[in-house]
Amino acid sequence: MSSNVIIASPIENVIKAKTEVNGHDPKSLISMRNIWKTYQMGTEKVHALHGVSFDIPRGEYIAIIGPSGSGKSTLMNLIGCLDTPSEGEYWLNSKNVSEMDDDELARIRNQEVGFVFQTFNLLARATALHNVELPLIYGGVGSAQRHEMAKKALEAVDLAERMTHRPNELSGGQRQRVAIARALVNHPSILLADEPTGALDTHTSMEIMDLFERLHSEGNTIIVVTHEHDIAARAHRVISIRDGLIEKDERIR
Amino acid sequence: MERGGEHEAQPRRYTSARAGILARVRSFRLFRLTAIWEAFRVATSSLRTNKLRTSLTLMGIVVGVTAVIAVVTIIKGLDKTVAQTFSSQGSTVFTISKNPQIIKSREEFVKFNRRKDVTHDDAEAIRRLCTACWRVGIAANAIEVVKHADQKAENVRIRGVDPITMFDIDGVTIDAGRIWTESEGSSGREICVVGTDILKNLFSDASADRVIGQELRIAGRPYLIVGVLEPLGSIFGFSRDNVVYIPYSTYQKAYGARRSLVIFTQVPDADGLEAAEDQVRTVMRNRRGHTQDDPDDEGFALETQDVFLNLYGSATSNIYIVTIGVAAVSLVVGGIVVMNIMLVSVTERTKEIGIRKAIGARKKDILTQFLIEAVTVTAIGGAIGVGTGFGLAYVISALIGFPLLISVASAVLGVGVSSVVGIISGLWPAWRAAKLDPIEALRAE
Repeated sequence: MSSNVIIASPIENVIKAKTEVNGHDPKSLISMRNIWKTYQMGTEKVHALHGVSFDIPRGEYIAIIGPSGSGKSTLMNLIGCLDTPSEGEYWLNSKNVSEMDDDELARIRNQEVGFVFQTFNLLARATALHNVELPLIYGGVGSAQRHEMAKKALEAVDLAERMTHRPNELSGGQRQRVAIARALVNHPSILLADEPTGALDTHTSMEIMDLFERLHSEGNTIIVVTHEHDIAARAHRVISIRDGLIEKDERIR
Repeated sequence: MERGGEHEAQPRRYTSARAGILARVRSFRLFRLTAIWEAFRVATSSLRTNKLRTSLTLMGIVVGVTAVIAVVTIIKGLDKTVAQTFSSQGSTVFTISKNPQIIKSREEFVKFNRRKDVTHDDAEAIRRLCTACWRVGIAANAIEVVKHADQKAENVRIRGVDPITMFDIDGVTIDAGRIWTESEGSSGREICVVGTDILKNLFSDASADRVIGQELRIAGRPYLIVGVLEPLGSIFGFSRDNVVYIPYSTYQKAYGARRSLVIFTQVPDADGLEAAEDQVRTVMRNRRGHTQDDPDDEGFALETQDVFLNLYGSATSNIYIVTIGVAAVSLVVGGIVVMNIMLVSVTERTKEIGIRKAIGARKKDILTQFLIEAVTVTAIGGAIGVGTGFGLAYVISALIGFPLLISVASAVLGVGVSSVVGIISGLWPAWRAAKLDPIEALRAE
């Protein structure tokens, strides 16, 4: 560390020193530091991630791409706080998520992460509005305010007229937009989408990707996990994962 | 600080995020209520979707609670009837008879039948020697067919009494007409005082005044009606007004002197009861002692209404025990059914649990949701059970004829106990749901 200080210029010294002391970069929304994820398969240990490190600043639109078995799902689960790393540190919004227990993780998922899934994962028996209200319910928002916020979120994805419909009364694209409204309603730090167009036709896929673009331009941080290159190409930065390691991390626009 | 200077491009996000946080802070105390209400909504909607399954699940709980509510309600009604009935005679009366009111075995029956009859002389002796006694009377009963013109009534209780204070001891009062005079009573005249059932059955419900002076035929003998009694109502479905009082001397003429009597003794107040009983026992022992072949037997039965009340009490407490047993078994079975269904429900809704966890439901949120679902099922079962229990009690009370006492406490208890069953049987399934791994759960179909 002292060698760093000597080599670097004065202003960088301060930043670097701070970075090293805190173990994460305070400018970043997400800081992954040497993340390992190891599964015990019988007697064998399988490493899904072999020491992955990267930073995502606030407001970025990023794609994580990789073939199946590359470890990208594992990485997505870690970013989404559904799981904790076996080793390494994960800082999300200046909070060390890697050491949290189940309930703290649930709280982080509720407040900081908005999930969008390939198969939408809406509650079949609930209306669009109720589906969008769900994160607010677990966040403890009172009913009047909850209604207001959920309505606004549905308006933001152009579904104001479909609020009282149930998922089976909506098209695939509409369902995904309900899911996006649900993901955004709590004003999370990141919108985390797992193959968001995997169950949609080309035309609808493009609509959803346009929506992501718009949400990004409105200031949301978006992370799309996919194996499709044309979907990844819509992002501003692409991290390629292969065999549990970052193969490439490039800015494409 | 983390929403720092280099992000000026996102003013909208900044403000809305802050609004969101403020909203959370303001509504923090609402949290449990909100989550519980959500859990309740989910529970009711999932129960509505599986109507058949829900109703089958309810069955055990319904049966258990119905049994308890019906039995408790019926027995409360009976208790009230019994209390009213016996308070009219009070605890100031005791009887001396050959056979006790309750015979428990054949051996007892044989033993009691060997006793000497209780006679008019015994009553005279008591009247003479028992200084603590206030009123002493004798009574004997027969069941007869009673006729008037072309009308006839069966199973009428003919009660021969002497003296007329027996009316007071029996706790009956005259509504119309009069009681016979002492001289009429001792001369064996065919006169009678009737209960209101006689009016209803033989005189097409004529008013009490109009039957005075009319004639009845009891076992072929004509009797003149001189009085009508106030109605007493019925107990356990048996009317107490289907009675004809006649003087004991007349009774003796019709049925002979050889039947055993019952001597009724009344004391002025309940405090004097024991002293009077002791005196009467002494008198009766003296009169029986030297003619007794069985030295272990007193040779007579001295009883208060407590005998009946004790029997009634032990019978009802047995019914209570049996019912509680039945209810406990069906509640346990019902609880197991609920647990089974809840396990199925958790498996079916693994995906839903995964979704809820992904968007921020904590362990206790999921636990609460499934617990509330289980409790909702059993509480609904309990409520239905309370309803059918009261319904059953209503039907039975209407058939037998005693008051229906709907008790709020037993309704609350019924629903409460079934809710507890819900908590117990829901706990394990709910715990299994709560500890599901969100990643695994999301993968479920």
